[in-house]
Amino acid sequence: MSEIINEIQDKPVIEFKGVSKTYKTGTHALEDVNIKINKGEFVFVVGSSGAGKSTFMKLIMREEKANTGTISVNGYNLTKIKKRNIPMLRRTMGIVFQDFRLIPKMNVFDNVAFAMHVVGASTRQIRREVTKALSAVGLGDKARSMPNELSGGEQQRVGLARALVNNPTLIIADEPTGNVDPNMSYEIVSMLTAINKQGTTVLMVTHDHDLVHYFKHRVIMLDSGKIVADNPAGGAEE
Amino acid sequence: MKMSSVRYLTKEGFKNTWANRLMSVASVGVLVACMVVIGLAILISENVKLAIGNLEKQNVVMAYMKDYSWAQYGDKSENSSGAESTTEASSEESATEEQPDARGIKSSDYVIHNEEEALALCKEIEKLDNVESVEYISGDKGLEDVKANMPEGQEKYFTFLDEEYGNPLSGAAKVKMKDMALFDVTVEKIQKLEGIDTIQSQSDLAEKITAIKNGIAIAGFWIIAILMLISLIIVSNTIRITMYSRKLEISIMKAVGATNAFIRIPFVIEGIFIGLISAILSEGVLYFCYRVATETICKTLGTTDIVKYSDMAILLFVIFAVIGILSGAIGSFIMISKYLRKEGSEFAAI
Repeated sequence: MSEIINEIQDKPVIEFKGVSKTYKTGTHALEDVNIKINKGEFVFVVGSSGAGKSTFMKLIMREEKANTGTISVNGYNLTKIKKRNIPMLRRTMGIVFQDFRLIPKMNVFDNVAFAMHVVGASTRQIRREVTKALSAVGLGDKARSMPNELSGGEQQRVGLARALVNNPTLIIADEPTGNVDPNMSYEIVSMLTAINKQGTTVLMVTHDHDLVHYFKHRVIMLDSGKIVADNPAGGAEE
Repeated sequence: MKMSSVRYLTKEGFKNTWANRLMSVASVGVLVACMVVIGLAILISENVKLAIGNLEKQNVVMAYMKDYSWAQYGDKSENSSGAESTTEASSEESATEEQPDARGIKSSDYVIHNEEEALALCKEIEKLDNVESVEYISGDKGLEDVKANMPEGQEKYFTFLDEEYGNPLSGAAKVKMKDMALFDVTVEKIQKLEGIDTIQSQSDLAEKITAIKNGIAIAGFWIIAILMLISLIIVSNTIRITMYSRKLEISIMKAVGATNAFIRIPFVIEGIFIGLISAILSEGVLYFCYRVATETICKTLGTTDIVKYSDMAILLFVIFAVIGILSGAIGSFIMISKYLRKEGSEFAAI
Protein backbone atom coordinates (compact mmCIF):
# COMPACT_ATOMS: atom_id res chain seq x y z
CA MET A 1 0.00 0.00 0.00
CA SER A 2 1.46 3.27 -1.16
CA GLU A 3 0.00 5.27 1.71
CA ILE A 4 1.64 3.16 4.35
CA ILE A 5 4.90 4.67 5.39
CA ASN A 6 7.39 2.08 6.47
CA GLU A 7 7.06 1.60 10.15
CA ILE A 8 10.38 2.32 11.70
CA GLN A 9 10.80 1.92 15.42
CA ASP A 10 11.83 5.53 16.09
CA LYS A 11 9.32 7.06 13.67
CA PRO A 12 6.57 8.99 15.53
CA VAL A 13 3.27 7.16 16.08
CA ILE A 14 1.48 10.45 15.38
CA GLU A 15 2.96 13.34 13.43
CA PHE A 16 1.24 16.60 12.45
CA LYS A 17 3.10 18.92 10.05
CA GLY A 18 1.58 22.36 9.46
CA VAL A 19 -1.96 21.03 9.90
CA SER A 20 -4.91 23.39 9.60
CA LYS A 21 -8.58 22.56 9.62
CA THR A 22 -11.41 24.92 8.75
CA TYR A 23 -14.96 23.59 8.63
CA LYS A 24 -17.42 24.42 5.84
CA THR A 25 -19.18 26.73 8.30
CA GLY A 26 -16.03 28.85 8.40
CA THR A 27 -14.93 27.79 11.89
CA HIS A 28 -11.14 27.63 12.14
CA ALA A 29 -10.69 24.57 14.36
CA LEU A 30 -6.93 24.06 14.05
CA GLU A 31 -4.21 26.34 12.75
CA ASP A 32 -0.72 25.30 11.72
CA VAL A 33 -0.36 22.47 14.22
CA ASN A 34 3.01 20.73 14.36
CA ILE A 35 3.36 17.85 16.79
CA LYS A 36 5.13 14.54 17.18
CA ILE A 37 4.05 11.75 19.52
CA ASN A 38 6.49 8.88 19.74
CA LYS A 39 5.89 5.24 20.40
CA GLY A 40 5.33 4.46 24.07
CA GLU A 41 4.41 8.01 25.09
CA PHE A 42 1.42 8.92 27.31
CA VAL A 43 0.07 12.31 26.29
CA PHE A 44 -2.67 14.38 27.86
CA VAL A 45 -4.43 16.81 25.51
CA VAL A 46 -5.99 19.65 27.45
CA GLY A 47 -7.78 22.84 26.57
CA SER A 48 -11.05 24.68 27.09
CA SER A 49 -14.18 24.00 25.04
CA GLY A 50 -13.71 25.04 21.42
CA ALA A 51 -9.93 24.86 21.71
CA GLY A 52 -9.75 22.27 18.94
CA LYS A 53 -9.30 19.06 20.99
CA SER A 54 -12.16 17.20 19.28
CA THR A 55 -10.93 18.20 15.82
CA PHE A 56 -7.43 17.08 16.80
CA MET A 57 -8.78 13.64 17.77
CA LYS A 58 -11.05 13.41 14.70
CA LEU A 59 -8.11 14.11 12.43
CA ILE A 60 -6.12 11.30 14.07
CA MET A 61 -9.03 8.86 13.64
CA ARG A 62 -9.52 10.15 10.07
CA GLU A 63 -13.08 11.13 10.77
CA GLU A 64 -12.14 14.53 9.38
CA LYS A 65 -9.57 15.49 6.78
CA ALA A 66 -7.08 18.34 7.19
CA ASN A 67 -7.30 21.26 4.76
CA THR A 68 -3.57 21.79 4.75
CA GLY A 69 -0.53 19.98 6.11
CA THR A 70 0.22 16.31 6.51
CA ILE A 71 -0.73 13.85 9.21
CA SER A 72 0.72 10.41 9.72
CA VAL A 73 -0.64 7.92 12.24
CA ASN A 74 0.73 4.43 12.84
CA GLY A 75 2.49 4.52 9.48
CA TYR A 76 -0.52 5.71 7.48
CA ASN A 77 -0.30 9.00 5.64
CA LEU A 78 -3.77 10.39 6.37
CA THR A 79 -3.64 13.02 3.65
CA LYS A 80 -3.27 10.34 0.99
CA ILE A 81 -5.07 7.37 2.59
CA LYS A 82 -7.68 5.68 0.39
CA LYS A 83 -11.19 5.30 1.82
CA ARG A 84 -10.96 1.52 1.80
CA ASN A 85 -7.87 1.66 4.04
CA ILE A 86 -9.43 3.84 6.74
CA PRO A 87 -10.84 0.76 8.58
CA MET A 88 -7.32 -0.75 8.53
CA LEU A 89 -5.94 2.44 10.13
CA ARG A 90 -8.61 2.29 12.84
CA ARG A 91 -7.75 -1.32 13.60
CA THR A 92 -4.33 -0.14 14.75
CA MET A 93 -5.92 2.01 17.46
CA GLY A 94 -8.28 1.48 20.36
CA ILE A 95 -10.82 4.20 21.11
CA VAL A 96 -12.30 4.92 24.54
CA PHE A 97 -15.34 7.21 24.58
CA GLN A 98 -16.54 9.53 27.32
CA ASP A 99 -20.06 8.04 27.16
CA PHE A 100 -18.73 4.43 27.18
CA ARG A 101 -20.69 3.47 24.04
CA LEU A 102 -21.66 0.02 25.28
CA ILE A 103 -24.46 -1.79 23.47
CA PRO A 104 -27.21 -2.12 26.09
CA LYS A 105 -28.65 -5.40 24.78
CA MET A 106 -25.26 -7.15 24.87
CA ASN A 107 -23.56 -8.44 27.98
CA VAL A 108 -20.04 -7.38 28.97
CA PHE A 109 -18.37 -10.28 27.15
CA ASP A 110 -20.27 -9.63 23.90
CA ASN A 111 -19.60 -5.90 24.05
CA VAL A 112 -15.87 -6.59 24.11
CA ALA A 113 -16.12 -9.48 21.63
CA PHE A 114 -17.94 -7.16 19.22
CA ALA A 115 -14.66 -5.38 18.42
CA MET A 116 -13.05 -8.71 17.57
CA HIS A 117 -15.89 -9.90 15.33
CA VAL A 118 -15.37 -6.78 13.26
CA VAL A 119 -11.79 -7.76 12.48
CA GLY A 120 -12.84 -11.34 11.64
CA ALA A 121 -11.33 -13.12 14.63
CA SER A 122 -12.21 -16.78 15.22
CA THR A 123 -14.47 -17.85 18.08
CA ARG A 124 -11.55 -19.43 19.92
CA GLN A 125 -9.45 -16.29 19.56
CA ILE A 126 -12.35 -14.16 20.75
CA ARG A 127 -12.90 -16.30 23.84
CA ARG A 128 -9.22 -16.17 24.75
CA GLU A 129 -8.59 -12.47 24.10
CA VAL A 130 -11.84 -11.16 25.62
CA THR A 131 -11.23 -13.11 28.83
CA LYS A 132 -7.70 -11.70 28.94
CA ALA A 133 -8.86 -8.11 28.32
CA LEU A 134 -11.61 -8.33 30.95
CA SER A 135 -9.14 -9.70 33.49
CA ALA A 136 -6.74 -6.86 32.66
CA VAL A 137 -9.38 -4.27 33.62
CA GLY A 138 -10.50 -6.26 36.68
CA LEU A 139 -13.87 -7.38 35.32
CA GLY A 140 -13.16 -11.08 34.82
CA ASP A 141 -16.14 -11.98 37.04
CA LYS A 142 -18.58 -9.63 35.31
CA ALA A 143 -18.45 -11.14 31.82
CA ARG A 144 -22.13 -12.15 31.86
CA SER A 145 -23.42 -8.91 33.41
CA MET A 146 -25.42 -6.46 31.37
CA PRO A 147 -24.11 -2.86 31.04
CA ASN A 148 -27.01 -1.44 33.10
CA GLU A 149 -25.97 -3.65 36.03
CA LEU A 150 -22.55 -1.95 36.19
CA SER A 151 -21.41 1.33 37.75
CA GLY A 152 -20.10 4.16 35.55
CA GLY A 153 -16.51 3.24 36.35
CA GLU A 154 -17.11 -0.42 35.53
CA GLN A 155 -18.77 0.50 32.25
CA GLN A 156 -15.77 2.61 31.31
CA ARG A 157 -13.50 -0.33 32.15
CA VAL A 158 -15.54 -2.45 29.73
CA GLY A 159 -14.97 0.29 27.14
CA LEU A 160 -11.26 0.11 27.93
CA ALA A 161 -11.24 -3.67 27.55
CA ARG A 162 -12.94 -3.28 24.17
CA ALA A 163 -10.28 -0.77 23.10
CA LEU A 164 -7.52 -3.14 24.24
CA VAL A 165 -8.83 -6.43 22.92
CA ASN A 166 -7.39 -6.10 19.42
CA ASN A 167 -3.93 -5.25 20.83
CA PRO A 168 -3.69 -1.76 19.33
CA THR A 169 -0.46 0.21 19.21
CA LEU A 170 -2.29 3.42 20.05
CA ILE A 171 -5.09 4.11 22.54
CA ILE A 172 -7.16 7.24 22.02
CA ALA A 173 -9.24 8.15 25.05
CA ASP A 174 -11.71 11.00 24.63
CA GLU A 175 -12.39 12.27 28.15
CA PRO A 176 -12.67 8.76 29.55
CA THR A 177 -13.13 10.07 33.08
CA GLY A 178 -15.83 12.60 32.18
CA ASN A 179 -18.70 10.40 33.40
CA VAL A 180 -17.11 8.64 36.35
CA ASP A 181 -16.49 9.58 39.97
CA PRO A 182 -13.08 11.01 40.99
CA ASN A 183 -11.81 7.79 42.59
CA MET A 184 -12.68 5.79 39.55
CA SER A 185 -11.05 8.47 37.36
CA TYR A 186 -7.72 7.81 39.02
CA GLU A 187 -8.24 4.09 38.66
CA ILE A 188 -8.95 4.41 34.93
CA VAL A 189 -5.93 6.62 34.26
CA SER A 190 -3.84 4.20 36.35
CA MET A 191 -4.99 1.39 34.08
CA LEU A 192 -4.14 3.43 30.99
CA THR A 193 -0.73 4.15 32.52
CA ALA A 194 -0.21 0.44 33.12
CA ILE A 195 -1.14 -0.30 29.51
CA ASN A 196 1.23 2.47 28.39
CA LYS A 197 4.05 0.91 30.37
CA GLN A 198 3.68 -2.21 28.25
CA GLY A 199 4.53 -0.13 25.18
CA THR A 200 1.15 1.11 23.94
CA THR A 201 1.02 4.81 23.08
CA VAL A 202 -1.83 6.59 24.89
CA LEU A 203 -3.42 9.88 23.88
CA MET A 204 -5.98 11.13 26.36
CA VAL A 205 -8.17 14.22 26.14
CA THR A 206 -9.18 15.54 29.55
CA HIS A 207 -10.49 18.55 31.42
CA ASP A 208 -9.42 17.16 34.75
CA HIS A 209 -6.40 19.20 35.88
CA ASP A 210 -5.97 17.15 39.04
CA LEU A 211 -5.41 14.03 36.98
CA VAL A 212 -2.93 15.83 34.74
CA HIS A 213 -0.98 17.09 37.77
CA TYR A 214 -1.10 13.75 39.49
CA PHE A 215 0.13 11.53 36.67
CA LYS A 216 2.82 13.83 35.26
CA HIS A 217 2.66 12.66 31.68
CA ARG A 218 3.38 14.83 28.66
CA VAL A 219 0.74 17.56 28.26
CA ILE A 220 -0.28 19.27 25.03
CA MET A 221 -2.41 22.34 25.57
CA LEU A 222 -4.63 23.67 22.80
CA ASP A 223 -6.21 27.08 22.65
CA SER A 224 -8.14 28.58 19.72
CA GLY A 225 -6.87 25.84 17.42
CA LYS A 226 -3.20 26.35 18.26
CA ILE A 227 -0.79 24.43 20.45
CA VAL A 228 0.02 26.88 23.20
CA ALA A 229 2.05 24.52 25.42
CA ASP A 230 3.75 21.15 25.10
CA ASN A 231 5.12 20.06 28.47
CA PRO A 232 7.18 16.90 28.53
CA ALA A 233 6.47 14.06 30.94
CA GLY A 234 7.30 14.92 34.53
CA GLY A 235 6.99 18.67 33.85
CA ALA A 236 4.37 21.04 35.24
CA GLU A 237 1.26 22.09 33.35
CA GLU A 238 1.26 25.71 32.34
CA MET B 1 -14.22 -12.57 4.17
CA LYS B 2 -13.55 -15.26 6.77
CA MET B 3 -16.09 -18.00 7.47
CA SER B 4 -16.34 -16.92 11.12
CA SER B 5 -17.33 -13.43 9.93
CA VAL B 6 -19.90 -14.83 7.50
CA ARG B 7 -21.45 -16.92 10.29
CA TYR B 8 -21.41 -13.99 12.68
CA LEU B 9 -22.96 -11.56 10.18
CA THR B 10 -25.67 -14.02 9.13
CA LYS B 11 -26.55 -14.58 12.78
CA GLU B 12 -26.61 -10.82 13.32
CA GLY B 13 -28.97 -10.39 10.36
CA PHE B 14 -31.46 -12.87 11.84
CA LYS B 15 -31.05 -11.37 15.31
CA ASN B 16 -31.77 -7.89 13.91
CA THR B 17 -34.98 -9.13 12.32
CA TRP B 18 -36.09 -10.51 15.67
CA ALA B 19 -34.90 -7.48 17.64
CA ASN B 20 -36.96 -5.21 15.37
CA ARG B 21 -39.80 -7.70 15.15
CA LEU B 22 -42.58 -5.12 15.21
CA MET B 23 -41.18 -3.32 12.19
CA SER B 24 -40.31 -6.63 10.55
CA VAL B 25 -43.89 -7.86 10.99
CA ALA B 26 -45.23 -4.59 9.58
CA SER B 27 -43.05 -4.81 6.48
CA VAL B 28 -43.77 -8.51 6.03
CA GLY B 29 -47.48 -7.61 6.17
CA VAL B 30 -47.18 -4.92 3.49
CA LEU B 31 -44.93 -7.11 1.34
CA VAL B 32 -47.37 -10.02 1.60
CA ALA B 33 -50.19 -7.69 0.51
CA CYS B 34 -48.13 -6.52 -2.50
CA MET B 35 -47.12 -10.05 -3.44
CA VAL B 36 -50.69 -11.38 -3.12
CA VAL B 37 -51.89 -8.62 -5.46
CA ILE B 38 -49.07 -9.48 -7.89
CA GLY B 39 -49.99 -13.17 -7.62
CA LEU B 40 -53.67 -12.41 -8.20
CA ALA B 41 -52.76 -10.33 -11.25
CA ILE B 42 -50.77 -13.26 -12.60
CA LEU B 43 -53.56 -15.76 -11.88
CA ILE B 44 -56.22 -13.51 -13.41
CA SER B 45 -54.04 -13.02 -16.46
CA GLU B 46 -53.50 -16.79 -16.75
CA ASN B 47 -57.23 -17.41 -16.49
CA VAL B 48 -57.97 -14.79 -19.13
CA LYS B 49 -55.33 -16.41 -21.35
CA LEU B 50 -57.02 -19.77 -20.82
CA ALA B 51 -60.40 -18.30 -21.72
CA ILE B 52 -58.91 -16.61 -24.78
CA GLY B 53 -57.23 -19.87 -25.72
CA ASN B 54 -60.64 -21.51 -25.69
CA LEU B 55 -62.02 -18.71 -27.81
CA GLU B 56 -59.12 -19.06 -30.20
CA LYS B 57 -59.88 -22.73 -30.57
CA GLN B 58 -63.37 -21.78 -31.69
CA ASN B 59 -62.10 -19.12 -34.02
CA VAL B 60 -61.43 -21.33 -37.00
CA VAL B 61 -61.33 -20.30 -40.62
CA MET B 62 -63.35 -22.14 -43.23
CA ALA B 63 -61.56 -22.06 -46.59
CA TYR B 64 -64.09 -23.15 -49.22
CA MET B 65 -62.66 -24.90 -52.20
CA LYS B 66 -63.43 -24.42 -55.85
CA ASP B 67 -64.85 -27.85 -56.29
CA TYR B 68 -67.08 -29.21 -58.95
CA SER B 69 -70.06 -29.99 -56.74
CA TRP B 70 -70.23 -26.36 -55.61
CA ALA B 71 -70.08 -25.13 -59.18
CA GLN B 72 -72.90 -27.41 -60.13
CA TYR B 73 -75.04 -25.83 -57.48
CA GLY B 74 -74.45 -22.13 -57.17
CA ASP B 75 -71.79 -20.93 -59.54
CA LYS B 76 -73.70 -21.92 -62.62
CA SER B 77 -74.08 -18.69 -64.54
CA GLU B 78 -70.71 -17.28 -63.61
CA ASN B 79 -68.85 -20.45 -64.26
CA SER B 80 -70.75 -21.41 -67.32
CA SER B 81 -69.53 -18.23 -69.00
CA GLY B 82 -66.10 -18.93 -67.64
CA ALA B 83 -66.47 -22.44 -68.88
CA GLU B 84 -67.46 -21.20 -72.29
CA SER B 85 -64.41 -19.03 -72.65
CA THR B 86 -62.24 -21.84 -71.42
CA THR B 87 -63.96 -24.11 -73.83
CA GLU B 88 -63.23 -21.76 -76.68
CA ALA B 89 -59.63 -21.52 -75.73
CA SER B 90 -59.16 -25.17 -75.18
CA SER B 91 -61.03 -26.24 -78.28
CA GLU B 92 -58.04 -25.28 -80.29
CA GLU B 93 -55.77 -27.36 -78.10
CA SER B 94 -57.68 -30.58 -78.02
CA ALA B 95 -60.27 -32.16 -80.15
CA THR B 96 -61.14 -34.79 -77.55
CA GLU B 97 -62.04 -32.35 -74.87
CA GLU B 98 -64.53 -33.07 -72.13
CA GLN B 99 -68.14 -32.20 -72.90
CA PRO B 100 -70.00 -29.86 -70.56
CA ASP B 101 -72.82 -31.37 -68.54
CA ALA B 102 -76.49 -30.54 -68.95
CA ARG B 103 -75.93 -27.29 -67.10
CA GLY B 104 -73.04 -26.30 -69.32
CA ILE B 105 -70.35 -26.88 -66.71
CA LYS B 106 -67.25 -28.98 -67.19
CA SER B 107 -65.50 -30.68 -64.32
CA SER B 108 -62.11 -29.61 -65.66
CA ASP B 109 -62.98 -25.95 -65.09
CA TYR B 110 -62.47 -26.58 -61.40
CA VAL B 111 -59.27 -27.25 -59.53
CA ILE B 112 -60.71 -29.67 -57.03
CA HIS B 113 -62.48 -32.62 -58.52
CA ASN B 114 -62.28 -35.27 -55.87
CA GLU B 115 -61.41 -35.91 -52.25
CA GLU B 116 -57.75 -36.74 -53.02
CA GLU B 117 -57.23 -33.32 -54.53
CA ALA B 118 -59.07 -31.67 -51.65
CA LEU B 119 -56.83 -33.47 -49.14
CA ALA B 120 -53.76 -32.44 -51.14
CA LEU B 121 -54.89 -28.81 -50.91
CA CYS B 122 -55.40 -29.24 -47.16
CA LYS B 123 -51.81 -30.49 -46.91
CA GLU B 124 -50.65 -27.41 -48.79
CA ILE B 125 -52.50 -25.17 -46.34
CA GLU B 126 -51.00 -27.09 -43.45
CA LYS B 127 -47.53 -26.24 -44.72
CA LEU B 128 -48.15 -22.50 -44.29
CA ASP B 129 -46.63 -20.70 -41.28
CA ASN B 130 -48.97 -20.05 -38.39
CA VAL B 131 -51.29 -22.90 -39.38
CA GLU B 132 -51.82 -25.24 -36.46
CA SER B 133 -54.10 -27.82 -38.03
CA VAL B 134 -56.28 -28.36 -41.07
CA GLU B 135 -59.31 -30.60 -41.28
CA TYR B 136 -61.07 -31.44 -44.53
CA ILE B 137 -64.83 -31.04 -44.37
CA SER B 138 -66.53 -32.51 -47.42
CA GLY B 139 -69.64 -30.87 -48.82
CA ASP B 140 -71.80 -33.68 -47.43
CA LYS B 141 -70.22 -33.50 -43.98
CA GLY B 142 -70.62 -29.70 -44.06
CA LEU B 143 -74.28 -30.01 -44.83
CA GLU B 144 -74.77 -32.53 -42.04
CA ASP B 145 -73.06 -30.18 -39.59
CA VAL B 146 -75.21 -27.27 -40.69
CA LYS B 147 -78.34 -29.36 -40.29
CA ALA B 148 -77.24 -30.55 -36.86
CA ASN B 149 -76.71 -26.98 -35.70
CA MET B 150 -80.06 -25.74 -36.99
CA PRO B 151 -82.93 -25.27 -34.57
CA GLU B 152 -85.28 -28.20 -34.48
CA GLY B 153 -87.57 -28.36 -37.51
CA GLN B 154 -85.60 -25.91 -39.62
CA GLU B 155 -83.17 -28.48 -40.98
CA LYS B 156 -85.88 -29.60 -43.37
CA TYR B 157 -85.25 -26.53 -45.56
CA PHE B 158 -81.73 -27.75 -46.16
CA THR B 159 -83.00 -31.25 -46.81
CA PHE B 160 -85.38 -29.78 -49.37
CA LEU B 161 -82.62 -27.78 -51.06
CA ASP B 162 -80.35 -30.77 -51.15
CA GLU B 163 -83.00 -32.97 -52.71
CA GLU B 164 -84.15 -30.36 -55.21
CA TYR B 165 -80.91 -28.69 -56.33
CA GLY B 166 -78.15 -30.75 -54.80
CA ASN B 167 -75.82 -29.91 -51.89
CA PRO B 168 -75.19 -26.16 -51.87
CA LEU B 169 -71.95 -26.54 -49.91
CA SER B 170 -68.58 -27.16 -51.45
CA GLY B 171 -65.76 -28.95 -49.66
CA ALA B 172 -63.84 -26.83 -47.20
CA ALA B 173 -60.64 -26.80 -45.19
CA LYS B 174 -61.20 -26.05 -41.51
CA VAL B 175 -58.03 -24.16 -40.56
CA LYS B 176 -56.90 -23.51 -36.99
CA MET B 177 -54.20 -20.88 -36.46
CA LYS B 178 -51.40 -20.69 -33.97
CA ASP B 179 -51.22 -16.93 -33.41
CA MET B 180 -54.29 -14.81 -33.90
CA ALA B 181 -52.13 -11.71 -34.29
CA LEU B 182 -51.06 -13.08 -37.70
CA PHE B 183 -54.61 -13.84 -38.68
CA ASP B 184 -54.96 -11.50 -41.68
CA VAL B 185 -51.60 -12.43 -43.17
CA THR B 186 -52.41 -16.12 -42.92
CA VAL B 187 -55.86 -15.67 -44.46
CA GLU B 188 -54.25 -13.82 -47.34
CA LYS B 189 -51.79 -16.67 -47.91
CA ILE B 190 -54.56 -19.27 -47.90
CA GLN B 191 -56.58 -17.17 -50.31
CA LYS B 192 -53.71 -17.16 -52.78
CA LEU B 193 -53.59 -20.95 -53.01
CA GLU B 194 -55.00 -22.41 -56.18
CA GLY B 195 -58.28 -24.12 -55.50
CA ILE B 196 -59.45 -21.81 -52.72
CA ASP B 197 -62.58 -19.92 -53.55
CA THR B 198 -63.75 -17.99 -50.53
CA ILE B 199 -62.74 -17.78 -46.91
CA GLN B 200 -65.19 -17.44 -44.10
CA SER B 201 -63.60 -15.97 -41.00
CA GLN B 202 -64.24 -13.90 -37.94
CA SER B 203 -61.53 -11.36 -38.39
CA ASP B 204 -62.91 -8.99 -35.70
CA LEU B 205 -62.81 -11.69 -33.08
CA ALA B 206 -59.15 -12.32 -33.88
CA GLU B 207 -58.44 -8.62 -33.55
CA LYS B 208 -60.30 -8.41 -30.27
CA ILE B 209 -58.50 -11.42 -28.88
CA THR B 210 -55.15 -9.94 -29.83
CA ALA B 211 -56.10 -6.59 -28.28
CA ILE B 212 -57.22 -8.25 -25.03
CA LYS B 213 -53.99 -10.27 -24.86
CA ASN B 214 -51.86 -7.17 -25.36
CA GLY B 215 -53.91 -5.23 -22.83
CA ILE B 216 -53.45 -7.94 -20.22
CA ALA B 217 -49.71 -8.07 -20.85
CA ILE B 218 -49.34 -4.29 -20.46
CA ALA B 219 -51.56 -4.08 -17.37
CA GLY B 220 -49.75 -7.03 -15.79
CA PHE B 221 -46.37 -5.42 -16.40
CA TRP B 222 -47.39 -2.15 -14.77
CA ILE B 223 -49.09 -3.82 -11.80
CA ILE B 224 -45.97 -5.88 -11.12
CA ALA B 225 -43.62 -2.92 -11.67
CA ILE B 226 -45.55 -0.58 -9.36
CA LEU B 227 -45.96 -3.18 -6.63
CA MET B 228 -42.28 -4.12 -6.85
CA LEU B 229 -41.40 -0.47 -6.34
CA ILE B 230 -43.74 -0.32 -3.33
CA SER B 231 -42.07 -3.47 -1.93
CA LEU B 232 -38.67 -1.87 -2.39
CA ILE B 233 -39.75 1.30 -0.57
CA ILE B 234 -41.31 -0.69 2.29
CA VAL B 235 -38.20 -2.79 2.86
CA SER B 236 -35.96 0.28 2.57
CA ASN B 237 -38.02 2.04 5.20
CA THR B 238 -37.86 -0.87 7.61
CA ILE B 239 -34.12 -1.12 7.18
CA ARG B 240 -33.81 2.63 7.69
CA ILE B 241 -35.59 2.37 11.02
CA THR B 242 -33.47 -0.65 12.01
CA MET B 243 -30.39 1.32 11.02
CA TYR B 244 -31.23 4.30 13.19
CA SER B 245 -32.04 2.03 16.10
CA ARG B 246 -28.56 0.51 15.63
CA LYS B 247 -26.80 3.84 15.23
CA LEU B 248 -24.70 3.15 18.32
CA GLU B 249 -23.57 -0.24 17.05
CA ILE B 250 -22.68 1.20 13.67
CA SER B 251 -20.63 3.98 15.28
CA ILE B 252 -18.73 1.43 17.38
CA MET B 253 -18.21 -0.78 14.34
CA LYS B 254 -16.71 2.18 12.47
CA ALA B 255 -14.54 3.08 15.43
CA VAL B 256 -13.06 -0.39 15.76
CA GLY B 257 -12.32 -0.61 12.04
CA ALA B 258 -15.28 -2.33 10.42
CA THR B 259 -15.41 -2.05 6.64
CA ASN B 260 -18.56 -0.71 5.03
CA ALA B 261 -19.27 -4.16 3.60
CA PHE B 262 -19.11 -5.67 7.09
CA ILE B 263 -21.59 -3.09 8.39
CA ARG B 264 -23.89 -3.56 5.39
CA ILE B 265 -24.17 -7.37 5.38
CA PRO B 266 -26.43 -7.89 8.45
CA PHE B 267 -28.87 -5.29 7.09
CA VAL B 268 -28.91 -6.89 3.66
CA ILE B 269 -29.48 -10.31 5.28
CA GLU B 270 -32.30 -8.81 7.32
CA GLY B 271 -33.87 -7.42 4.13
CA ILE B 272 -33.54 -10.74 2.32
CA PHE B 273 -34.96 -12.61 5.30
CA ILE B 274 -37.99 -10.30 5.45
CA GLY B 275 -38.46 -10.78 1.69
CA LEU B 276 -38.26 -14.57 1.91
CA ILE B 277 -40.65 -14.83 4.86
CA SER B 278 -43.06 -12.62 2.91
CA ALA B 279 -42.73 -14.88 -0.15
CA ILE B 280 -43.59 -18.01 1.87
CA LEU B 281 -46.56 -16.34 3.57
CA SER B 282 -47.78 -14.86 0.27
CA GLU B 283 -47.85 -18.32 -1.29
CA GLY B 284 -50.07 -19.59 1.53
CA VAL B 285 -52.37 -16.56 1.59
CA LEU B 286 -52.74 -16.56 -2.20
CA TYR B 287 -53.50 -20.29 -2.25
CA PHE B 288 -56.27 -19.77 0.30
CA CYS B 289 -57.72 -16.69 -1.48
CA TYR B 290 -57.59 -18.35 -4.90
CA ARG B 291 -59.21 -21.53 -3.62
CA VAL B 292 -62.10 -19.64 -2.04
CA ALA B 293 -62.53 -17.42 -5.12
CA THR B 294 -62.41 -20.24 -7.67
CA GLU B 295 -64.78 -22.44 -5.67
CA THR B 296 -67.33 -19.61 -5.63
CA ILE B 297 -66.81 -18.82 -9.33
CA CYS B 298 -67.11 -22.47 -10.34
CA LYS B 299 -70.30 -22.88 -8.36
CA THR B 300 -71.83 -19.67 -9.69
CA LEU B 301 -70.84 -20.01 -13.34
CA GLY B 302 -70.91 -23.79 -13.47
CA THR B 303 -67.53 -23.90 -15.18
CA THR B 304 -64.49 -25.96 -14.32
CA ASP B 305 -62.32 -24.39 -16.96
CA ILE B 306 -60.07 -22.53 -14.50
CA VAL B 307 -56.30 -22.52 -14.03
CA LYS B 308 -55.34 -24.88 -11.20
CA TYR B 309 -53.26 -23.33 -8.39
CA SER B 310 -51.05 -26.40 -8.25
CA ASP B 311 -50.01 -25.75 -11.87
CA MET B 312 -48.88 -22.23 -10.93
CA ALA B 313 -47.59 -22.81 -7.37
CA ILE B 314 -43.90 -23.23 -8.19
CA LEU B 315 -43.81 -20.37 -10.68
CA LEU B 316 -45.59 -18.07 -8.22
CA PHE B 317 -43.21 -18.99 -5.39
CA VAL B 318 -40.21 -18.33 -7.61
CA ILE B 319 -41.67 -14.94 -8.57
CA PHE B 320 -42.42 -14.09 -4.92
CA ALA B 321 -38.98 -15.21 -3.77
CA VAL B 322 -37.26 -13.18 -6.49
CA ILE B 323 -39.35 -10.09 -5.66
CA GLY B 324 -38.74 -10.58 -1.93
CA ILE B 325 -35.02 -11.23 -2.17
CA LEU B 326 -34.43 -8.45 -4.68
CA SER B 327 -36.46 -5.82 -2.87
CA GLY B 328 -34.89 -6.88 0.44
CA ALA B 329 -31.34 -6.88 -0.82
CA ILE B 330 -31.57 -3.77 -3.01
CA GLY B 331 -33.69 -1.78 -0.52
CA SER B 332 -31.39 -2.43 2.42
CA PHE B 333 -28.23 -1.97 0.35
CA ILE B 334 -29.38 1.44 -0.89
CA MET B 335 -30.41 2.58 2.58
CA ILE B 336 -27.30 1.50 4.46
CA SER B 337 -25.01 2.84 1.75
CA LYS B 338 -26.76 6.19 1.92
CA TYR B 339 -26.44 6.19 5.70
CA LEU B 340 -22.77 5.25 5.66
CA ARG B 341 -22.02 7.96 3.10
CA LYS B 342 -23.62 10.66 5.25
CA GLU B 343 -23.98 10.11 8.98
CA GLY B 344 -22.20 6.80 9.28
CA SER B 345 -18.76 8.29 8.89
CA GLU B 346 -19.13 10.34 12.04
CA PHE B 347 -18.68 7.89 14.85
CA ALA B 348 -17.02 10.10 17.42
CA ALA B 349 -20.03 12.29 18.00
CA ILE B 350 -23.33 10.47 17.48
